[in-house]
Amino acid sequence: MEKAVRTVFYFGPLLFGFGFLAPLAAQILAAFEWVPPFGLTNLQAGLIVGGTLGLIAQIRGRWV
Amino acid sequence: MIDAQNLSTMSEQELMRLEREIARRHIDKFPYFAVFWGFGNLAIWLSLWPLVFMGIIPLWLGFIISTLNVTLSYLPSHEAQHDIIAKPGTKLRWLNQLLGHLSTIPLMLPYRIAKYTHMAHHKHANHPELDPDHSTHAAGPWQAIWKTIQNRQPRAKGGFNAYGEMLTRDGRPDILLDGILFEVFFYSVLFGLAWNGFAIEAALLWWLPRHIGLTYIVFFLSWAPHHPANETGRYRNTRSFTSILGNIGSLGMQYHIVHHLHPRIPLYRTPRAYWEMKPILEARGCRVEDL
Repeated sequence: MEKAVRTVFYFGPLLFGFGFLAPLAAQILAAFEWVPPFGLTNLQAGLIVGGTLGLIAQIRGRWV
Repeated sequence: MIDAQNLSTMSEQELMRLEREIARRHIDKFPYFAVFWGFGNLAIWLSLWPLVFMGIIPLWLGFIISTLNVTLSYLPSHEAQHDIIAKPGTKLRWLNQLLGHLSTIPLMLPYRIAKYTHMAHHKHANHPELDPDHSTHAAGPWQAIWKTIQNRQPRAKGGFNAYGEMLTRDGRPDILLDGILFEVFFYSVLFGLAWNGFAIEAALLWWLPRHIGLTYIVFFLSWAPHHPANETGRYRNTRSFTSILGNIGSLGMQYHIVHHLHPRIPLYRTPRAYWEMKPILEARGCRVEDL
């Protein structure tokens, strides 16, 4: 159990990127009526933005 | 009125007796306002959710109020941490504990973690290894704000991570579990709201207010009253200070030295106790020159 909790917390930045930043980015795009490039949907663009930020934070160990 | 000239000739014991006499006059006063503040603040914060979701108030207004709520949520719990509402074994002890547990919900800070680490802070204030709040130490106000943000990064050494490390070191997994459960709850709510189309609401009603609130709280409750945080000892580990935001804007912390000397004096009585005690504090060589 402890190992599972540690693993989940270890991957916190990546989870936050996909779990929160991705839908947040998608909904910001929709709210401002911005159209993502390359025919991407808002959610696809959000997943790329959130996932990328989460991955960078996961590797660096910090968001800023 | 205390005569400053007489104080300089007094012994350590006489100064201590005078200091305790003053403190005694301010201890055991029931802090009605803190109780009303803690429960009222939580009620307002909880009411923001239906008010915003039903379109009764705009999101921008909800964001401002929520930021105030989160920022104001710590201090009532802080009164409870010091048993100021009711001591153990007294009739109103349940109220002390209820306020302590509930008031920091907007901040997502478990009461037992707050209390345990805060008691360690009082015991070891400014000690680089033993004070769990020592990571807030910074050269100036802007550096302090930046440090607070840095301390909240995933693999930071300070901030809540320092609390976790301390609880592990002290063999208190039971208290650490509170933190894990709070974190799981907080992020589950954020993720759940976000994937159901309410990410902006979640960000502006909780996530961002919490970051702003934590930054403000740490600045005024930890950095400002202890700066430069390079001395230990009862009379030198904290200070009084003046803030451009005044005592209310600095969350009542201008008189923080009184709190460290006599933690059971309620927040609203610390200014009065400070002015009564100031000649003694000066005679002790305390850092009270700014106020």
